[in-house]
Amino acid sequence: MRGVRLVALLGVLVLVAGAGPTVSAPAQEIVFTSNQFTPVEEQEWARNALLARFTQETSIGVRFITEAEGPYVDRLIAETRAGRGTIDVTGTLHGIFPVFLAANALRDMAPTLSQLDGRKDRTFFKDFLSASKMENTTAFIPWMQATYLIVAHKDALRYFPSGRNAMAMTYDDLLQWGENIRQGTGQRRVGFPVGPRGLYGRFLHGYIYPSFTGAQVRRFKSPEAVEMWRYLRRLWGITHPSSFTYEFMSEPLLRGEVLVAWDHVARILPALRQRPNDFVVLPSPAGPKGRSFISVVVGLSIPRTAPNPELGARLIEYLTRPATQVLTLQGVGFFPVSPEAGGTVPAGAFKVMADGVGAQSGARDAHTALLPIGLGARTGEFVPLYVNAFTRIAVRGEDIQRVLNEEGAKLEELYRASNAPCPPPDAAQRPCRPD
Amino acid sequence: MAVVEADLPAVAPRPRVNWTPYLLILPTLAFLGVFFIYPMVQAIWLGVTDPQSGAFTWQHFRRMSADLYFRQAIRYTLTITLLAVPLQVMLGLTIALLVNTRFRGHSLFLYLTALPIGISDLAAGLIWLSIFTERGYLNALLQRLGTVELPLVFLTIERPDWLIGAIVITEVWRATAIVMVILLAGLQLIPKDYAETASVFGAGRWQTLRHVIFPLLRPSLQTALIIRTILAFQLFGTVVTLAGRQIPVLAGEAYFWYSLYRSPNVASAYAVLILLFSGTITLLYLRLLRIREEEVKA
Repeated sequence: MRGVRLVALLGVLVLVAGAGPTVSAPAQEIVFTSNQFTPVEEQEWARNALLARFTQETSIGVRFITEAEGPYVDRLIAETRAGRGTIDVTGTLHGIFPVFLAANALRDMAPTLSQLDGRKDRTFFKDFLSASKMENTTAFIPWMQATYLIVAHKDALRYFPSGRNAMAMTYDDLLQWGENIRQGTGQRRVGFPVGPRGLYGRFLHGYIYPSFTGAQVRRFKSPEAVEMWRYLRRLWGITHPSSFTYEFMSEPLLRGEVLVAWDHVARILPALRQRPNDFVVLPSPAGPKGRSFISVVVGLSIPRTAPNPELGARLIEYLTRPATQVLTLQGVGFFPVSPEAGGTVPAGAFKVMADGVGAQSGARDAHTALLPIGLGARTGEFVPLYVNAFTRIAVRGEDIQRVLNEEGAKLEELYRASNAPCPPPDAAQRPCRPD
Repeated sequence: MAVVEADLPAVAPRPRVNWTPYLLILPTLAFLGVFFIYPMVQAIWLGVTDPQSGAFTWQHFRRMSADLYFRQAIRYTLTITLLAVPLQVMLGLTIALLVNTRFRGHSLFLYLTALPIGISDLAAGLIWLSIFTERGYLNALLQRLGTVELPLVFLTIERPDWLIGAIVITEVWRATAIVMVILLAGLQLIPKDYAETASVFGAGRWQTLRHVIFPLLRPSLQTALIIRTILAFQLFGTVVTLAGRQIPVLAGEAYFWYSLYRSPNVASAYAVLILLFSGTITLLYLRLLRIREEEVKA
């Protein structure tokens, strides 16, 4: 009996000790959802560094919920449909906001933006502000940006085609580089994130397609596209055969399976963090129609059903502060959206990365591709069309023109049904249509 | 009132219904209802209705069957099931028989072999990924032994048979234990007298096993087969970890249609398909392994 009592007492003590922090926890709490920061380390960083600072400063607690795109979108839409919500702030890719607008789930962010302007401590890059204007409202406040780049092990540089400049590489250089590596090391050591949750689809529609054809959608089945797919078949011949399982290229890079990789900055950052002296970051290659790359904008918004919109606006103010933007860059490798923050990039892994980003966006032949918008609930069908075309052409060896005609018909139907405009750099057209 | 009662024909008082068993299964029924029946009905509903109008439609099933990965998903799910389940049952039975001989240290052996039950399929996939990957333990071993000069790439669609082999090995490692536990429980239910009687009548070990133990083990075998086959149709984590989407399986496709393509309807169509497969196979097992009454009498 005595033992039982002792255990019970201990239990109560543990409970009290555990409850300690809750007793001193902030009285107010807001809910912040996002489909960004889903990797565990990033979540931890967001809770313990980014949001903890906000709570310290304002004594407003933040419950941060991050999940995959599907459940993330469904949660907010379900709250809108129910007419009663728990989410105060939400942050996601610019391409997802049209889905929320279609469900009338968000407040107009124009008043919040003018409040921020009133503070006179930050401005936002013009491109991002114009991307935030949708259907006559301001759908979001720009929060952070990202892009995709090539990262290479320094050892691989000696295989780079001689007489060529790696900081201004072309797709032919990349192929020759991979071929040299294969001959030198006996294995295919160029890697792409072709795994199920890898972002290879972005490479197809935002990088190589516009670099070869000048467009993401409009030249989908053009002769230039056929040429591009022939090139991709050859590129596959020097690509690591396990690429189908890669989702975060930092992992095969650190294991040494892959010497040259293309991926999202956040997904190569862990490699740079662990061994900043071993890797270099290079701009994505250029094709016959220039050097195309995607610029990803992540924005913040307040749902219509938010229970604490004023507190949500304070969180947005904190997150878009230039100092917080630099903190975000250091934490997760998303780049600032304000010129005020851009000048203060710290040395180390970020400098390596920032040089690569600079070389990519500053190149003479550079042009920016934006993620497709306006596809509404069918947004998720866009990328798989490109990846399916890749699987059929490069993996299963089907006839290029036939595959392009079939997948192109689906692309056309998708755009016609959604009455969506072409994504830049395509020439404006609505609905967008592959020629 | 009294008059009316008196007019009624005399009947024997109805026996009091004993409600206790019903009360006892009520929580289980409620649990099944909320977490299995309701989601199941909802999944079927999502699979056959138009998301906008709510009208009946086969369009999600048509989209599912027209998809690039559909046929492959069926083929690979069946292939992996047909390869893994018999191996699991044979291995599980062998281990169960071995443990049942109660050799010295058999309980330690039992705990060790039952360990994989506690490991999620995703974790199991990761464990075997670290073995099979190009820089994994297997290649390290082969290189140390001098068998290969350059590490081999096992996990690539360019060698589908190796890829499937890796998945089957992982599945066998992960799920043999559950078969073993079920069969061991079944074995321990069989009274020792039967085997002793058989040996008195001059039956050898194999004959005892074949004519005494196996028939009595059939109910457990049935349970183990049903559970394993149904779970094999839900196979997902290990395959995605080891093969990505290059070896598509049904449950994986349901997941990708929901999370990548954002189409809960087609995902539900896949779920319904898995349900049909599981239901059919369960019925089949129940029929094939049925214990006929005459057998019991005999």
